[in-house]
Amino acid sequence: MTPDDGMNVYELTYPELRAEHAVELDFAGVEIFASPFFNFAIGQLLRDISPDTLNRLLTFSHLNGVGNQILKQVIKNSKRYYAADDATRNAINEIVSQQVGNV
Amino acid sequence: MSVTLKIPTINDNLKDFDNLFQLLEQLNEDCSEVIIDFSKCFFLRQNAVAFLGGLIRLIQSRSIKLNINWDSLHKNIKMNLEQNGFMYVFCENKEPWQGNSIPYREDKKQDKDGLVDYLAEKWLGRDWVDLSQTLQNVIVGTVWEIYANAFEHGQTEIGVFSCGQHYPKKKELKLTVVDFGVGIPQNVRLFQNLPDLPADEALKWAFEAGNTTRRGNVTGGVGLDYLKRFVKMNRGKLEFFSHNGYVLINKDEETYQKRPTFFGGTLVNITLQCDEAIYVLASDTDGDAPLF
Repeated sequence: MTPDDGMNVYELTYPELRAEHAVELDFAGVEIFASPFFNFAIGQLLRDISPDTLNRLLTFSHLNGVGNQILKQVIKNSKRYYAADDATRNAINEIVSQQVGNV
Repeated sequence: MSVTLKIPTINDNLKDFDNLFQLLEQLNEDCSEVIIDFSKCFFLRQNAVAFLGGLIRLIQSRSIKLNINWDSLHKNIKMNLEQNGFMYVFCENKEPWQGNSIPYREDKKQDKDGLVDYLAEKWLGRDWVDLSQTLQNVIVGTVWEIYANAFEHGQTEIGVFSCGQHYPKKKELKLTVVDFGVGIPQNVRLFQNLPDLPADEALKWAFEAGNTTRRGNVTGGVGLDYLKRFVKMNRGKLEFFSHNGYVLINKDEETYQKRPTFFGGTLVNITLQCDEAIYVLASDTDGDAPLF
């Protein structure tokens, strides 16, 4: 559920997907979902892996309706975010970094 | 300087929240001692219990001398505080017991499993609200995100405080979650580089689906959307207080207001209706469409 949990999944799946290996994420037994997990595990894959590649290589099993809905919303948000051009995102991230430094 | 906080009767109408926040406003930099007195208090709702717990921990964290006049507690209040475990945490060996309370809880650090259990078993799992297991899981997941947000964004050093209550005559089930961190408007102002952004506008931005002040290159901002939808369906109420901003979400409205009092952290007050038929959120029908 946590960002850390999601990051753990991301760190396992990202290298495999970049190497064009198929990955299956099995959610058997998982009944409670929270978007922070999906943001980190799945959403950030869209940073530099195309949706077509993810559709081809990444599958989900035993993901119930609730999890599926949240995942779809996360993917929708992430596609919008990462679709912003690199310059825009870099500008945003620079502002954020400066603000963090000023706190 | 010694400050006496005379705790008034606290329900959970807007004026009651004003009274709660004004207690914190009485603490100033010169304060070396705080006395908490309950002699004028004849009722404390769950919001007050959660807030007072956090207030006590905040005072302790500042190494201010604290004197809580437990003898000033009226009998009924004391019994309720014993039942919900507040007294057990702060002064007594008497263990809490199950009743209409959802236990008072402190989380200095994020305890994922503990919080899921608290929400699933102690809040929703008491059959006060007729929920399918699926919908219960949805609500647990979305309310859990309120805690997750507090830990990720709140920058609170003393943690997050919760308490709930079932009101059988009113057929309401309530939960309050509060942190004494930096508040939502602070984070939004920093993120947008708009230091003068009014609190109500900052909250409005924060509540838009997809918006997040999360640092780094990862999106956020989905969970609250589900909670909003559910509360509207249930004819319940969702309230957020942060700085002088206030958000009210119910089936009729989603409003963002400025309040006359200021609270530097964030307080969430959730009200569910126990006698409303609740339906599972409709699933998408585009099952064959690609996921990405």
